[in-house]
Amino acid sequence: MKQTLVTGNEAAAWGARLVQPNYIPTFPITPQTECIETLARWISDGELPGTYFDRMESEHSVMSAAVGAAAVGARVFTATSSQGLLLMHEVLYIAAGMRLPIVMATISRGLSAPVTLWSDHNDFLDQRDSGWLMFHAENNQEVLDLVLQAYRIAEDSRVLLPVMVNMDGYVLSFTDEPITIPSPEMVKEFLPKYTPKHTIAKDRPVTVGPPVLDEYTIFRAQNHVAARNALEVMEEVMDDFDRIFGRRYHLVDEFMLDDAELVLVTQGSMSTTAKAAIMEMRDEEGIKVGLLRLRVIRPWPAKAIAEALKNAKAVAVIDRNLAPGRGGIMFPEIVETLYNLDRRPLVSSFVVGLGGNPQTEHKVKEITRKLMDDLETGRPRVEWNDVDVNDMDVNDMEGL
Amino acid sequence: MYKIRIHGRGGQGAKKAAKMIGQAAFKMGKQVQDFALYGAERRGAPVMSFVRIGDTPILERGYVDDPDVVLVLDKTLLDLVNVADGLAENGLLLVNSEHELAVDTPATVKHVDATSIALDTIGKPIFNTTMLGALAKFTNIISIDALDWAIEEELFNYPKKMIEANKTAVKKCYEVAK
Repeated sequence: MKQTLVTGNEAAAWGARLVQPNYIPTFPITPQTECIETLARWISDGELPGTYFDRMESEHSVMSAAVGAAAVGARVFTATSSQGLLLMHEVLYIAAGMRLPIVMATISRGLSAPVTLWSDHNDFLDQRDSGWLMFHAENNQEVLDLVLQAYRIAEDSRVLLPVMVNMDGYVLSFTDEPITIPSPEMVKEFLPKYTPKHTIAKDRPVTVGPPVLDEYTIFRAQNHVAARNALEVMEEVMDDFDRIFGRRYHLVDEFMLDDAELVLVTQGSMSTTAKAAIMEMRDEEGIKVGLLRLRVIRPWPAKAIAEALKNAKAVAVIDRNLAPGRGGIMFPEIVETLYNLDRRPLVSSFVVGLGGNPQTEHKVKEITRKLMDDLETGRPRVEWNDVDVNDMDVNDMEGL
Repeated sequence: MYKIRIHGRGGQGAKKAAKMIGQAAFKMGKQVQDFALYGAERRGAPVMSFVRIGDTPILERGYVDDPDVVLVLDKTLLDLVNVADGLAENGLLLVNSEHELAVDTPATVKHVDATSIALDTIGKPIFNTTMLGALAKFTNIISIDALDWAIEEELFNYPKKMIEANKTAVKKCYEVAK
Protein backbone atom coordinates (compact mmCIF):
# COMPACT_ATOMS: atom_id res chain seq x y z
CA MET A 1 0.00 0.00 0.00
CA LYS A 2 1.24 3.46 -0.81
CA GLN A 3 -0.12 6.99 -0.39
CA THR A 4 0.11 9.08 -3.50
CA LEU A 5 -1.39 12.20 -5.09
CA VAL A 6 -3.67 11.31 -7.97
CA THR A 7 -6.54 12.87 -9.90
CA GLY A 8 -9.99 11.26 -10.05
CA ASN A 9 -9.24 10.11 -13.59
CA GLU A 10 -6.03 8.46 -12.42
CA ALA A 11 -7.84 6.90 -9.46
CA ALA A 12 -10.29 5.21 -11.87
CA ALA A 13 -7.36 4.11 -14.03
CA TRP A 14 -5.64 2.66 -10.92
CA GLY A 15 -8.79 0.70 -10.18
CA ALA A 16 -8.66 -0.79 -13.67
CA ARG A 17 -4.92 -1.46 -13.43
CA LEU A 18 -5.34 -3.37 -10.17
CA VAL A 19 -8.18 -5.43 -11.64
CA GLN A 20 -6.23 -6.17 -14.85
CA PRO A 21 -9.16 -6.38 -17.29
CA ASN A 22 -8.79 -8.32 -20.55
CA TYR A 23 -10.18 -5.55 -22.71
CA ILE A 24 -10.44 -1.74 -22.61
CA PRO A 25 -12.29 -0.20 -25.57
CA THR A 26 -12.05 3.62 -25.50
CA PHE A 27 -12.99 6.91 -27.08
CA PRO A 28 -11.70 10.21 -25.66
CA ILE A 29 -13.92 13.00 -24.34
CA THR A 30 -13.33 15.84 -21.89
CA PRO A 31 -13.11 15.36 -18.90
CA GLN A 32 -12.53 11.58 -19.18
CA THR A 33 -9.55 11.56 -21.57
CA GLU A 34 -6.85 11.60 -18.87
CA CYS A 35 -8.24 8.30 -17.53
CA ILE A 36 -7.81 6.37 -20.77
CA GLU A 37 -4.53 8.16 -21.59
CA THR A 38 -3.16 6.98 -18.25
CA LEU A 39 -4.22 3.40 -19.02
CA ALA A 40 -2.77 3.63 -22.54
CA ARG A 41 0.58 4.76 -21.11
CA TRP A 42 0.64 1.96 -18.53
CA ILE A 43 -0.24 -0.61 -21.16
CA SER A 44 2.60 0.59 -23.41
CA ASP A 45 4.89 0.40 -20.34
CA GLY A 46 3.86 -3.25 -19.85
CA GLU A 47 1.94 -2.70 -16.59
CA LEU A 48 -1.19 -4.53 -17.83
CA PRO A 49 0.27 -7.50 -19.70
CA GLY A 50 -3.04 -9.27 -20.34
CA THR A 51 -5.03 -6.22 -21.47
CA TYR A 52 -5.98 -5.36 -25.02
CA PHE A 53 -6.57 -1.62 -25.50
CA ASP A 54 -8.75 -0.39 -28.36
CA ARG A 55 -9.36 3.11 -29.64
CA MET A 56 -12.78 3.02 -31.34
CA GLU A 57 -14.47 5.55 -33.63
CA SER A 58 -17.28 6.53 -31.21
CA GLU A 59 -18.72 5.77 -27.80
CA HIS A 60 -21.52 3.76 -29.42
CA SER A 61 -18.80 1.50 -30.84
CA VAL A 62 -17.00 1.42 -27.48
CA MET A 63 -20.00 0.01 -25.68
CA SER A 64 -20.79 -2.34 -28.58
CA ALA A 65 -17.24 -3.68 -28.44
CA ALA A 66 -17.52 -3.96 -24.65
CA VAL A 67 -20.71 -6.02 -25.05
CA GLY A 68 -19.05 -8.30 -27.62
CA ALA A 69 -15.99 -8.88 -25.49
CA ALA A 70 -17.99 -9.44 -22.30
CA ALA A 71 -20.24 -11.89 -24.15
CA VAL A 72 -17.24 -14.13 -24.84
CA GLY A 73 -16.16 -13.92 -21.20
CA ALA A 74 -13.67 -11.06 -21.15
CA ARG A 75 -13.36 -8.80 -18.13
CA VAL A 76 -13.97 -5.31 -19.55
CA PHE A 77 -13.30 -1.76 -18.37
CA THR A 78 -14.09 1.52 -20.06
CA ALA A 79 -14.79 5.16 -19.22
CA THR A 80 -16.72 8.05 -20.70
CA SER A 81 -18.45 11.37 -20.04
CA SER A 82 -21.41 13.51 -20.98
CA GLN A 83 -22.33 13.37 -24.70
CA GLY A 84 -20.28 10.18 -24.99
CA LEU A 85 -22.38 8.50 -22.31
CA LEU A 86 -25.53 9.60 -24.15
CA LEU A 87 -24.20 8.14 -27.39
CA MET A 88 -23.74 4.82 -25.56
CA HIS A 89 -27.26 4.93 -24.19
CA GLU A 90 -28.83 2.45 -26.63
CA VAL A 91 -26.12 -0.13 -26.03
CA LEU A 92 -26.21 0.28 -22.24
CA TYR A 93 -29.63 -1.40 -22.18
CA ILE A 94 -28.20 -4.24 -24.27
CA ALA A 95 -25.27 -4.71 -21.87
CA ALA A 96 -27.68 -4.91 -18.93
CA GLY A 97 -30.24 -7.07 -20.75
CA MET A 98 -27.51 -9.53 -21.73
CA ARG A 99 -26.38 -9.50 -18.06
CA LEU A 100 -22.77 -8.62 -18.87
CA PRO A 101 -20.62 -7.58 -15.89
CA ILE A 102 -18.89 -4.63 -17.59
CA VAL A 103 -17.48 -1.90 -15.34
CA MET A 104 -17.39 1.69 -16.55
CA ALA A 105 -16.15 4.88 -14.92
CA THR A 106 -18.33 7.84 -15.84
CA ILE A 107 -17.05 11.36 -15.33
CA SER A 108 -20.04 13.67 -15.03
CA ARG A 109 -20.24 16.72 -17.25
CA GLY A 110 -23.30 18.82 -18.11
CA LEU A 111 -25.08 18.17 -21.40
CA SER A 112 -25.35 20.31 -24.53
CA ALA A 113 -26.92 22.72 -25.57
CA PRO A 114 -25.42 25.11 -24.68
CA VAL A 115 -22.06 23.36 -24.34
CA THR A 116 -20.51 23.16 -20.90
CA LEU A 117 -17.36 21.28 -19.97
CA TRP A 118 -18.13 21.39 -16.25
CA SER A 119 -19.99 19.02 -14.06
CA ASP A 120 -23.56 18.23 -13.25
CA HIS A 121 -25.27 14.87 -12.98
CA ASN A 122 -27.70 14.77 -15.89
CA ASP A 123 -25.46 12.56 -18.04
CA PHE A 124 -25.17 9.95 -15.29
CA LEU A 125 -28.80 10.08 -14.13
CA ASP A 126 -29.97 9.81 -17.73
CA GLN A 127 -28.86 6.14 -17.47
CA ARG A 128 -30.95 5.58 -14.34
CA ASP A 129 -33.40 3.15 -15.95
CA SER A 130 -30.88 1.33 -18.19
CA GLY A 131 -30.51 -1.68 -15.89
CA TRP A 132 -26.94 -0.80 -14.87
CA LEU A 133 -25.99 -0.63 -11.22
CA MET A 134 -24.89 2.90 -10.35
CA PHE A 135 -22.38 4.17 -7.80
CA HIS A 136 -21.54 7.83 -7.24
CA ALA A 137 -18.24 8.65 -5.52
CA GLU A 138 -17.48 11.66 -3.32
CA ASN A 139 -13.68 11.71 -3.58
CA ASN A 140 -10.79 10.11 -5.42
CA GLN A 141 -10.19 7.36 -2.86
CA GLU A 142 -13.79 6.30 -3.22
CA VAL A 143 -13.48 6.27 -7.03
CA LEU A 144 -10.70 3.67 -6.84
CA ASP A 145 -12.40 1.67 -4.09
CA LEU A 146 -15.74 1.57 -5.89
CA VAL A 147 -14.13 0.37 -9.14
CA LEU A 148 -12.72 -2.60 -7.21
CA GLN A 149 -16.06 -3.26 -5.48
CA ALA A 150 -17.91 -2.86 -8.80
CA TYR A 151 -16.15 -5.89 -10.32
CA ARG A 152 -16.94 -8.10 -7.31
CA ILE A 153 -20.60 -7.08 -7.42
CA ALA A 154 -20.98 -7.21 -11.22
CA GLU A 155 -19.42 -10.68 -11.47
CA ASP A 156 -21.39 -12.21 -8.57
CA SER A 157 -23.69 -14.91 -10.01
CA ARG A 158 -26.66 -13.50 -8.06
CA VAL A 159 -26.21 -10.24 -9.97
CA LEU A 160 -24.35 -10.42 -13.32
CA LEU A 161 -25.05 -6.84 -14.27
CA PRO A 162 -22.88 -3.97 -15.51
CA VAL A 163 -21.83 -1.26 -13.05
CA MET A 164 -21.14 2.45 -13.48
CA VAL A 165 -18.90 4.31 -11.06
CA ASN A 166 -19.50 8.04 -11.35
CA MET A 167 -17.32 10.97 -10.31
CA ASP A 168 -17.83 14.68 -10.87
CA GLY A 169 -15.85 16.09 -13.77
CA TYR A 170 -13.13 18.65 -12.96
CA VAL A 171 -13.90 18.80 -9.24
CA LEU A 172 -12.62 15.22 -8.95
CA SER A 173 -11.45 14.17 -12.40
CA PHE A 174 -8.75 16.87 -12.62
CA THR A 175 -8.07 17.38 -8.92
CA ASP A 176 -5.08 15.79 -7.22
CA GLU A 177 -5.87 14.33 -3.80
CA PRO A 178 -3.84 11.97 -1.61
CA ILE A 179 -5.19 8.43 -1.80
CA THR A 180 -4.05 5.00 -0.72
CA ILE A 181 -3.37 2.65 -3.60
CA PRO A 182 -3.78 -0.95 -2.43
CA SER A 183 -1.25 -3.64 -3.23
CA PRO A 184 -2.04 -6.08 -6.07
CA GLU A 185 -1.89 -8.92 -3.50
CA MET A 186 -4.73 -7.40 -1.48
CA VAL A 187 -6.78 -6.90 -4.62
CA LYS A 188 -6.15 -10.53 -5.56
CA GLU A 189 -7.51 -11.61 -2.18
CA PHE A 190 -10.56 -9.35 -2.57
CA LEU A 191 -11.45 -10.06 -6.18
CA PRO A 192 -11.37 -13.71 -7.30
CA LYS A 193 -10.45 -14.68 -10.83
CA TYR A 194 -13.46 -14.07 -13.07
CA THR A 195 -15.28 -17.23 -14.16
CA PRO A 196 -17.86 -16.26 -16.79
CA LYS A 197 -21.20 -18.02 -16.47
CA HIS A 198 -23.30 -17.62 -19.61
CA THR A 199 -20.85 -16.82 -22.36
CA ILE A 200 -20.34 -17.69 -25.98
CA ALA A 201 -17.54 -20.19 -26.50
CA LYS A 202 -16.17 -22.12 -29.47
CA ASP A 203 -17.43 -25.42 -28.11
CA ARG A 204 -20.66 -23.95 -26.75
CA PRO A 205 -22.40 -21.82 -29.36
CA VAL A 206 -25.31 -19.87 -27.88
CA THR A 207 -27.46 -16.98 -29.01
CA VAL A 208 -27.51 -13.95 -26.75
CA GLY A 209 -30.00 -11.12 -26.93
CA PRO A 210 -32.23 -12.61 -29.68
CA PRO A 211 -35.81 -11.54 -30.51
CA VAL A 212 -38.27 -13.15 -28.08
CA LEU A 213 -42.04 -13.22 -27.64
CA ASP A 214 -43.68 -13.91 -24.28
CA GLU A 215 -40.31 -14.44 -22.64
CA TYR A 216 -39.54 -10.72 -22.80
CA THR A 217 -41.23 -10.01 -19.48
CA ILE A 218 -39.26 -12.80 -17.82
CA PHE A 219 -35.93 -11.42 -19.00
CA ARG A 220 -36.89 -7.92 -17.84
CA ALA A 221 -38.01 -9.32 -14.48
CA GLN A 222 -34.68 -11.15 -14.16
CA ASN A 223 -32.84 -7.89 -14.79
CA HIS A 224 -34.92 -6.28 -12.03
CA VAL A 225 -34.51 -9.10 -9.52
CA ALA A 226 -30.76 -9.32 -10.21
CA ALA A 227 -30.50 -5.58 -9.54
CA ARG A 228 -32.47 -5.97 -6.29
CA ASN A 229 -30.17 -8.86 -5.32
CA ALA A 230 -27.26 -6.49 -5.74
CA LEU A 231 -28.21 -4.63 -2.52
CA GLU A 232 -27.41 -7.68 -0.40
CA VAL A 233 -24.31 -8.44 -2.47
CA MET A 234 -23.10 -4.85 -2.10
CA GLU A 235 -23.37 -5.07 1.67
CA GLU A 236 -21.39 -8.34 1.71
CA VAL A 237 -18.77 -6.89 -0.62
CA MET A 238 -18.46 -3.71 1.47
CA ASP A 239 -17.93 -5.83 4.61
CA ASP A 240 -15.24 -7.82 2.86
CA PHE A 241 -13.66 -4.67 1.49
CA ASP A 242 -13.40 -3.32 5.04
CA ARG A 243 -11.86 -6.58 6.23
CA ILE A 244 -9.14 -6.54 3.58
CA PHE A 245 -8.50 -2.84 2.96
CA GLY A 246 -9.66 -1.29 6.25
CA ARG A 247 -11.98 1.24 4.65
CA ARG A 248 -15.67 1.09 5.62
CA TYR A 249 -18.41 1.71 3.07
CA HIS A 250 -22.21 1.46 3.35
CA LEU A 251 -25.07 1.67 0.86
CA VAL A 252 -25.58 5.28 1.95
CA ASP A 253 -23.09 7.68 3.50
CA GLU A 254 -24.40 9.08 6.79
CA PHE A 255 -22.79 12.18 8.31
CA MET A 256 -23.75 13.54 11.76
CA LEU A 257 -27.27 12.10 11.54
CA ASP A 258 -27.62 10.78 15.10
CA ASP A 259 -29.32 13.88 16.51
CA ALA A 260 -29.98 15.71 13.23
CA GLU A 261 -33.32 17.47 12.88
CA LEU A 262 -32.36 18.90 9.51
CA VAL A 263 -30.84 16.64 6.85
CA LEU A 264 -29.29 17.57 3.52
CA VAL A 265 -29.47 14.82 0.90
CA THR A 266 -26.60 15.14 -1.59
CA GLN A 267 -24.72 13.33 -4.32
CA GLY A 268 -21.06 13.39 -5.34
CA SER A 269 -18.30 15.87 -4.61
CA MET A 270 -20.52 18.68 -3.29
CA SER A 271 -20.99 16.50 -0.21
CA THR A 272 -17.44 17.31 0.95
CA THR A 273 -18.09 21.07 1.09
CA ALA A 274 -21.52 20.41 2.63
CA LYS A 275 -19.89 18.36 5.41
CA ALA A 276 -17.47 21.21 6.15
CA ALA A 277 -20.40 23.66 6.29
CA ILE A 278 -22.33 21.31 8.59
CA MET A 279 -19.44 21.06 11.04
CA GLU A 280 -19.19 24.86 11.12
CA MET A 281 -22.95 25.36 11.61
CA ARG A 282 -22.93 22.84 14.46
CA ASP A 283 -19.87 24.37 16.15
CA GLU A 284 -20.75 28.02 15.71
CA GLU A 285 -24.55 28.07 15.74
CA GLY A 286 -25.55 24.79 17.38
CA ILE A 287 -27.77 23.87 14.43
CA LYS A 288 -28.64 20.16 14.48
CA VAL A 289 -27.99 19.44 10.83
CA GLY A 290 -26.61 16.31 9.17
CA LEU A 291 -26.09 14.86 5.73
CA LEU A 292 -27.14 11.78 3.81
CA ARG A 293 -25.13 11.15 0.67
CA LEU A 294 -26.53 8.86 -2.00
CA ARG A 295 -23.67 6.50 -2.85
CA VAL A 296 -25.78 3.84 -4.55
CA ILE A 297 -28.34 5.18 -7.04
CA ARG A 298 -29.27 1.84 -8.60
CA PRO A 299 -30.48 -0.39 -7.15
CA TRP A 300 -32.32 2.12 -4.97
CA PRO A 301 -31.43 1.43 -1.32
CA ALA A 302 -34.88 2.46 -0.06
CA LYS A 303 -34.61 0.77 3.33
CA ALA A 304 -31.24 2.32 4.14
CA ILE A 305 -32.48 5.77 3.10
CA ALA A 306 -35.70 5.53 5.11
CA GLU A 307 -33.78 4.29 8.14
CA ALA A 308 -31.28 7.14 7.89
CA LEU A 309 -34.01 9.78 7.61
CA LYS A 310 -36.45 8.36 10.15
CA ASN A 311 -35.61 10.90 12.89
CA ALA A 312 -35.33 13.94 10.61
CA LYS A 313 -37.86 16.76 10.90
CA ALA A 314 -36.99 18.43 7.60
CA VAL A 315 -35.01 17.18 4.62
CA ALA A 316 -33.51 19.20 1.74
CA VAL A 317 -32.90 17.15 -1.40
CA ILE A 318 -30.10 18.92 -3.24
CA ASP A 319 -30.17 17.95 -6.90
CA ARG A 320 -27.26 18.82 -9.19
CA ASN A 321 -29.38 17.86 -12.18
CA LEU A 322 -32.61 18.87 -13.83
CA ALA A 323 -35.57 17.18 -15.46
CA PRO A 324 -37.05 20.24 -17.22
CA GLY A 325 -40.75 20.53 -16.49
CA ARG A 326 -40.31 18.28 -13.47
CA GLY A 327 -37.44 19.56 -11.32
CA GLY A 328 -34.67 17.76 -9.45
CA ILE A 329 -34.48 14.07 -10.34
CA MET A 330 -33.76 12.64 -6.89
CA PHE A 331 -36.39 14.74 -5.08
CA PRO A 332 -39.40 12.59 -6.07
CA GLU A 333 -37.37 9.42 -5.40
CA ILE A 334 -36.71 10.54 -1.83
CA VAL A 335 -40.31 11.67 -1.31
CA GLU A 336 -41.61 8.29 -2.53
CA THR A 337 -39.17 6.47 -0.25
CA LEU A 338 -40.53 8.33 2.79
CA TYR A 339 -44.19 8.51 1.82
CA ASN A 340 -45.40 5.35 3.53
CA LEU A 341 -43.48 5.80 6.78
CA ASP A 342 -45.56 6.31 9.93
CA ARG A 343 -43.78 9.55 10.70
CA ARG A 344 -42.32 11.36 7.74
CA PRO A 345 -40.29 14.57 7.55
CA LEU A 346 -41.08 17.62 5.50
CA VAL A 347 -39.09 17.46 2.24
CA SER A 348 -37.89 20.51 0.27
CA SER A 349 -36.20 20.48 -3.12
CA PHE A 350 -33.23 22.54 -4.28
CA VAL A 351 -31.75 22.46 -7.77
CA VAL A 352 -28.13 23.64 -7.65
CA GLY A 353 -24.76 23.57 -9.37
CA LEU A 354 -25.77 22.99 -12.99
CA GLY A 355 -22.89 23.18 -15.46
CA GLY A 356 -20.30 23.40 -12.68
CA ASN A 357 -21.86 26.33 -10.81
CA PRO A 358 -19.70 26.17 -7.66
CA GLN A 359 -21.32 24.64 -4.60
CA THR A 360 -19.72 26.57 -1.77
CA GLU A 361 -20.08 26.27 1.99
CA HIS A 362 -21.92 29.59 1.86
CA LYS A 363 -24.61 28.11 -0.43
CA VAL A 364 -24.98 25.04 1.77
CA LYS A 365 -25.57 27.31 4.76
CA GLU A 366 -28.14 29.29 2.76
CA ILE A 367 -30.05 26.10 1.95
CA THR A 368 -29.92 25.01 5.59
CA ARG A 369 -31.39 28.38 6.71
CA LYS A 370 -34.19 28.06 4.17
CA LEU A 371 -34.89 24.55 5.46
CA MET A 372 -35.13 25.94 9.02
CA ASP A 373 -37.70 28.44 7.74
CA ASP A 374 -39.64 25.64 6.03
CA LEU A 375 -39.71 23.69 9.28
CA GLU A 376 -41.08 26.74 11.05
CA THR A 377 -43.78 27.50 8.49
CA GLY A 378 -44.53 23.82 7.93
CA ARG A 379 -44.42 24.37 4.16
CA PRO A 380 -41.76 22.66 2.06
CA ARG A 381 -40.35 24.51 -0.93
CA VAL A 382 -39.22 23.67 -4.45
CA GLU A 383 -36.48 26.09 -5.37
CA TRP A 384 -33.34 26.79 -7.35
CA ASN A 385 -30.51 28.09 -5.27
CA ASP A 386 -28.39 29.69 -8.01
CA VAL A 387 -31.07 31.56 -9.94
CA ASP A 388 -34.63 32.85 -9.48
CA VAL A 389 -36.95 30.86 -11.76
CA ASN A 390 -40.13 32.57 -10.64
CA ASP A 391 -39.42 35.73 -12.57
CA MET A 392 -37.70 34.55 -15.73
CA ASP A 393 -38.07 35.79 -19.29
CA VAL A 394 -37.68 32.61 -21.38
CA ASN A 395 -36.91 34.65 -24.49
CA ASP A 396 -34.10 36.69 -22.96
CA MET A 397 -31.07 35.47 -24.94
CA GLU A 398 -28.54 37.48 -22.92
CA GLY A 399 -28.41 34.81 -20.23
CA LEU A 400 -27.62 35.60 -16.63
CA MET B 1 -5.40 26.03 5.42
CA TYR B 2 -2.99 27.69 3.00
CA LYS B 3 -4.27 28.58 -0.47
CA ILE B 4 -2.37 29.39 -3.62
CA ARG B 5 -3.68 30.64 -6.95
CA ILE B 6 -1.53 30.62 -10.08
CA HIS B 7 -2.25 32.82 -13.10
CA GLY B 8 -0.64 32.03 -16.42
CA ARG B 9 -1.37 31.66 -20.08
CA GLY B 10 -2.24 28.35 -21.70
CA GLY B 11 1.02 26.49 -22.41
CA GLN B 12 3.08 28.24 -19.70
CA GLY B 13 2.63 25.40 -17.24
CA ALA B 14 0.33 26.83 -14.58
CA LYS B 15 -1.15 23.36 -14.10
CA LYS B 16 2.27 21.72 -13.80
CA ALA B 17 3.38 24.36 -11.29
CA ALA B 18 0.31 23.62 -9.14
CA LYS B 19 1.03 19.89 -9.33
CA MET B 20 4.65 20.46 -8.27
CA ILE B 21 3.67 22.63 -5.30
CA GLY B 22 1.13 19.94 -4.39
CA GLN B 23 3.69 17.13 -4.64
CA ALA B 24 6.27 19.12 -2.62
CA ALA B 25 3.82 19.91 0.20
CA PHE B 26 2.57 16.29 0.15
CA LYS B 27 6.18 15.11 0.46
CA MET B 28 6.46 17.36 3.53
CA GLY B 29 3.59 15.47 5.15
CA LYS B 30 0.80 17.93 4.39
CA GLN B 31 -2.73 17.27 3.17
CA VAL B 32 -2.98 18.64 -0.33
CA GLN B 33 -5.41 19.38 -3.12
CA ASP B 34 -4.40 20.87 -6.46
CA PHE B 35 -6.22 21.40 -9.71
CA ALA B 36 -6.41 23.57 -12.79
CA LEU B 37 -9.37 25.55 -14.05
CA TYR B 38 -10.32 24.28 -17.45
CA GLY B 39 -12.73 25.83 -19.85
CA ALA B 40 -11.66 27.30 -23.13
CA GLU B 41 -8.03 26.57 -22.29
CA ARG B 42 -5.73 27.00 -25.26
CA ARG B 43 -2.27 28.35 -25.91
CA GLY B 44 -2.01 31.99 -24.89
CA ALA B 45 -5.40 32.31 -23.16
CA PRO B 46 -5.46 33.33 -19.48
CA VAL B 47 -5.66 30.22 -17.27
CA MET B 48 -5.60 29.53 -13.53
CA SER B 49 -4.59 26.70 -11.26
CA PHE B 50 -4.95 26.24 -7.53
CA VAL B 51 -3.38 24.50 -4.54
CA ARG B 52 -4.79 24.01 -1.06
CA ILE B 53 -2.44 22.82 1.70
CA GLY B 54 -3.47 21.87 5.22
CA ASP B 55 -2.66 19.76 8.26
CA THR B 56 -6.05 18.02 8.14
CA PRO B 57 -7.94 16.61 5.11
CA ILE B 58 -9.05 19.40 2.75
CA LEU B 59 -12.82 19.78 2.75
CA GLU B 60 -13.05 22.83 0.50
CA ARG B 61 -13.49 22.29 -3.24
CA GLY B 62 -13.59 24.39 -6.37
CA TYR B 63 -11.85 27.67 -7.21
CA VAL B 64 -9.74 29.47 -4.68
CA ASP B 65 -11.19 32.97 -4.37
CA ASP B 66 -9.37 33.95 -1.16
CA PRO B 67 -5.71 32.95 -1.73
CA ASP B 68 -2.79 33.53 0.64
CA VAL B 69 -0.38 33.55 -2.28
CA VAL B 70 -0.84 34.46 -5.93
CA LEU B 71 1.78 33.50 -8.50
CA VAL B 72 1.69 35.30 -11.84
CA LEU B 73 3.72 33.51 -14.51
CA ASP B 74 3.23 36.21 -17.15
CA LYS B 75 3.26 39.90 -16.23
CA THR B 76 1.18 40.90 -19.28
CA LEU B 77 -1.76 39.31 -17.47
CA LEU B 78 -1.78 42.20 -15.01
CA ASP B 79 -3.54 44.32 -17.65
CA LEU B 80 -6.16 41.64 -18.33
CA VAL B 81 -6.98 39.89 -15.08
CA ASN B 82 -7.46 41.17 -11.53
CA VAL B 83 -4.78 38.82 -10.23
CA ALA B 84 -4.97 40.25 -6.69
CA ASP B 85 -8.71 39.52 -6.42
CA GLY B 86 -9.49 38.19 -2.94
CA LEU B 87 -5.81 38.02 -1.97
CA ALA B 88 -5.29 38.14 1.81
CA GLU B 89 -4.03 41.49 3.14
CA ASN B 90 -1.00 39.80 4.65
CA GLY B 91 -0.65 37.67 1.53
CA LEU B 92 1.97 37.57 -1.18
CA LEU B 93 1.72 38.41 -4.87
CA LEU B 94 4.71 37.05 -6.77
CA VAL B 95 5.15 38.08 -10.39
CA ASN B 96 7.54 36.81 -13.02
CA SER B 97 9.04 40.10 -14.13
CA GLU B 98 12.45 41.68 -14.64
CA HIS B 99 11.31 44.90 -12.96
CA GLU B 100 9.10 46.04 -10.13
CA LEU B 101 5.38 46.41 -10.90
CA ALA B 102 2.64 48.54 -9.43
CA VAL B 103 -0.30 46.37 -8.37
CA ASP B 104 -3.29 47.68 -6.46
CA THR B 105 -3.28 45.40 -3.42
CA PRO B 106 -2.53 45.71 0.29
CA ALA B 107 -0.60 42.43 0.03
CA THR B 108 3.18 42.23 -0.36
CA VAL B 109 4.21 42.37 -4.02
CA LYS B 110 7.46 40.72 -5.11
CA HIS B 111 8.96 40.04 -8.48
CA VAL B 112 11.60 37.68 -9.77
CA ASP B 113 12.99 37.40 -13.30
CA ALA B 114 12.25 33.70 -13.70
CA THR B 115 12.33 33.87 -17.50
CA SER B 116 15.99 35.00 -17.59
CA ILE B 117 16.97 32.46 -14.93
CA ALA B 118 15.26 29.71 -16.94
CA LEU B 119 16.95 30.78 -20.17
CA ASP B 120 20.36 30.82 -18.43
CA THR B 121 20.01 27.45 -16.69
CA ILE B 122 17.57 25.36 -18.73
CA GLY B 123 18.11 27.11 -22.04
CA LYS B 124 14.36 27.38 -22.52
CA PRO B 125 11.79 29.76 -21.00
CA ILE B 126 10.50 27.20 -18.50
CA PHE B 127 9.62 29.75 -15.84
CA ASN B 128 6.79 27.83 -14.18
CA THR B 129 9.09 25.46 -12.27
CA THR B 130 11.80 28.13 -11.96
CA MET B 131 9.48 30.51 -10.07
CA LEU B 132 8.82 27.91 -7.40
CA GLY B 133 12.32 28.65 -6.06
CA ALA B 134 11.10 32.14 -5.15
CA LEU B 135 7.94 30.69 -3.59
CA ALA B 136 10.15 28.49 -1.37
CA LYS B 137 12.20 31.54 -0.41
CA PHE B 138 9.29 33.82 0.54
CA THR B 139 7.07 31.24 2.27
CA ASN B 140 7.78 28.22 4.43
CA ILE B 141 5.16 25.99 2.82
CA ILE B 142 7.58 24.15 0.55
CA SER B 143 11.29 23.46 0.82
CA ILE B 144 13.89 23.21 -1.92
CA ASP B 145 14.45 19.53 -1.04
CA ALA B 146 10.74 18.79 -1.41
CA LEU B 147 10.73 20.67 -4.72
CA ASP B 148 13.61 18.51 -5.98
CA TRP B 149 11.49 15.47 -5.26
CA ALA B 150 8.39 17.04 -6.83
CA ILE B 151 10.29 17.85 -10.02
CA GLU B 152 11.44 14.24 -10.33
CA GLU B 153 7.93 13.02 -9.68
CA GLU B 154 6.21 15.35 -12.15
CA LEU B 155 8.85 15.24 -14.91
CA PHE B 156 9.39 11.47 -14.68
CA ASN B 157 9.00 11.02 -18.43
CA TYR B 158 11.57 13.73 -19.32
CA PRO B 159 15.31 13.15 -19.89
CA LYS B 160 17.52 13.19 -16.78
CA LYS B 161 19.29 16.30 -18.10
CA MET B 162 16.02 18.22 -18.24
CA ILE B 163 15.09 17.20 -14.70
CA GLU B 164 18.47 18.33 -13.36
CA ALA B 165 18.28 21.64 -15.27
CA ASN B 166 14.88 22.34 -13.72
CA LYS B 167 16.27 21.65 -10.25
CA THR B 168 19.19 23.99 -10.91
CA ALA B 169 16.83 26.72 -12.12
CA VAL B 170 14.72 26.42 -8.97
CA LYS B 171 17.81 26.72 -6.74
CA LYS B 172 19.12 29.68 -8.74
CA CYS B 173 15.75 31.41 -8.40
CA TYR B 174 15.77 30.73 -4.65
CA GLU B 175 19.19 32.41 -4.35
CA VAL B 176 18.34 35.41 -6.51
CA ALA B 177 14.86 36.19 -5.15
CA LYS B 178 14.67 39.06 -2.69
